[in-house]
Amino acid sequence: MLYFLGIFQTIGVHTLLGLSAYVLLLTGQLSLGQVGFFAIGAYVSGILTVLFSWHIFAALAVGALVAGFFAFLIGFPALRVKGLMLVVATIAFSEIVRLFFFNLSWRVEVNGFDVGPDSTQGFREIRYFAANGWEQTHVVALIWSFVILVMFLLWWLDRVRAGAVLRAVGEDDLAAQSSGVNLTMVKVAAMTAGGVIAGIGGGLFAHSTTYVDHHTFTILLATFAVSYPILGGHKNVFGTLLAVIFIQGFVIEGLRFMGDYRNIVFGLLIILAMNLRPQGLVDGHFISDIKKKLGGKPKKDSADA
Amino acid sequence: MDYNLKSIATCVATVAIMAAGAASAESVINIAGWGAQSGPLRSFGVNSNAVIQAAVKRVNEEGGIRLADGTMATLAYEYHDSACNAEQAIAVARRVASSDVLVGIGPTCSGAAAAMFGVFQKQVDDASDTGLQLPILTDTAVRNGLAKISQWTFRNTPNEPAMYDNLWEWIATNQPDLKTIYGGTETDQGHSNGTYSKVIVQAAIRHGFTWAPGDLEGLTGDIASGFEAVLDSSANWLQADTNFAVQARAFRKSGADVLIVSSHPFTTCGMLKEMSRQRIEPGLIVGLTSSSSAEVMKGCPDEAEGMIIPTSFAPITDAAAEVAALANENGGDADLHSAAAWENVMIIKQVIEAVGITGDASMVAQERRAIRDGLEALTETEGLLGTITRNQAEGEALKPYVFVQAQAGGWVVVHDPR
Repeated sequence: MLYFLGIFQTIGVHTLLGLSAYVLLLTGQLSLGQVGFFAIGAYVSGILTVLFSWHIFAALAVGALVAGFFAFLIGFPALRVKGLMLVVATIAFSEIVRLFFFNLSWRVEVNGFDVGPDSTQGFREIRYFAANGWEQTHVVALIWSFVILVMFLLWWLDRVRAGAVLRAVGEDDLAAQSSGVNLTMVKVAAMTAGGVIAGIGGGLFAHSTTYVDHHTFTILLATFAVSYPILGGHKNVFGTLLAVIFIQGFVIEGLRFMGDYRNIVFGLLIILAMNLRPQGLVDGHFISDIKKKLGGKPKKDSADA
Repeated sequence: MDYNLKSIATCVATVAIMAAGAASAESVINIAGWGAQSGPLRSFGVNSNAVIQAAVKRVNEEGGIRLADGTMATLAYEYHDSACNAEQAIAVARRVASSDVLVGIGPTCSGAAAAMFGVFQKQVDDASDTGLQLPILTDTAVRNGLAKISQWTFRNTPNEPAMYDNLWEWIATNQPDLKTIYGGTETDQGHSNGTYSKVIVQAAIRHGFTWAPGDLEGLTGDIASGFEAVLDSSANWLQADTNFAVQARAFRKSGADVLIVSSHPFTTCGMLKEMSRQRIEPGLIVGLTSSSSAEVMKGCPDEAEGMIIPTSFAPITDAAAEVAALANENGGDADLHSAAAWENVMIIKQVIEAVGITGDASMVAQERRAIRDGLEALTETEGLLGTITRNQAEGEALKPYVFVQAQAGGWVVVHDPR
């Protein structure tokens, strides 16, 4: 049971990371900078609970706000670039963040022990949950409360005008601008929202794994972040969740016994999935089929893809 | 009638003996190992797994482990791939902790260990701490101070401060013409970086060597003194680097008698090859403990010629030579990291027999605790190179060591301070 709860934890945290990239994909922005916001959330909330003994909720909130603030700042220059250039720019941002924490040494004596980020040696003993008597079920409940909340908000967003505006910008920003949509506001808002979600995810990640260092927030994790919504499909918020379950639950955990071959199978499965479902696991057809089976009337435009 | 009674009694006794035999044959003590079997650090996990398999086989060939009731139990072992990834190491730890495994060995890398040890209960009997409660004995993760993270975690890894202190003392005595030092490290690797900037350089200063480019602020010879200045003044690289031209030029420019290459085998060979290409020929090259491995001899035997490293493993005793051969049979290599895994299995056997384990699956929690207490009570164990003493306040080991030098494509022991 302990093991499966641990997997739920991992899936929950990675879903938040994937959803942070999903928000940006709605506006047509492909960002590899989500891992930078994830790192900010991880370090800030970790510092607050370990060095200043803050409560986890306050620490997560501040971590998310700081990550969101940086995302807001990054949102403006990001407006000037698109496509591959945006990918490169956001990689550069996440590397700056990673290298900042790589050099950050802030050691404080707490209860006779030196704690805090220690540059290359990493940031150890972010043990809020275990040290405060949280059972693993409580941790899973906390993580999934955030996952459900964020998924619900994004699902709701897709059903109101704001969501339509995001998708309009994602489909054709010039056309959206011609229709009176404020591109700056929409893209910066999406970047900020993505930063906040990644910040929450990062805070939960740091407290779940109890340790973070510069190796944690590499380009590999950034690639995972955008892979989730792309593989899952960004027609629906549940696609990201499905992709995380597929990658973290099945490929990484389920195929552990395969050792080094796991990475080969991982690549093959991704290629296979992208060929069989090029618009993602949860594409328009999938949603339409589900609605038909549930007896509902599918939207005309939902079977696009 | 008597005949019948005797027959029945004989049958009952025979069945009882067979049942007892069957029961004892079925007694199993489960242990688990995990580490990198995939990813760039795969070789470390492969080596450890090969050695643990050999050790488990040896224990079982010799009759198994004696339980509290005097019967023998077989040692069963499983190895999981955690890829030197923190999340995966924690996932495996939870999986193992959910099973009837009594002791764990792992998880290869220091970063993964730092994370994984954090999800264990920090102090035993602290009811407010909900961390995992499973004794762990680590073989490879050598970064400073890891075992202090939890009282359930123990290490059987070399004591680098003592090894390098003795190494520099030995160099100063035997090669008094060598006066100055300079070097570099892979700065994004915690072990290489920490050992270089806080241990190796300071030990050299302590024994009268001087920093070739000039005195450094705060560098007194005490452990960790002036480590930031050391790093700033050194010619460093990163784990993923493949070009070392600039660093090698800095090495040449320093004009130092002794050059320190503090990195793992992968970049050690890259740096040594570049130094060779630039025809840099110092009086001596000192390497990081982790590079006293077969990987360096496979990757750059000629360029490594003359490099000297302190190590807690060399096939210089019968037992060590046998483990090296067994590791090869299982597709791995015995080195200072993986050989410790053999000692770990033997320590586990020793502790289980000392504390008296029943092997009853319903008592897993109590038996894990007994084993943990047994590990903590250990003051000495027999290792492959001799007696290992333990500093149990920190869960660490003080292992015997030797100095090896790369000579003609192999590691040759040049000094044995045991």
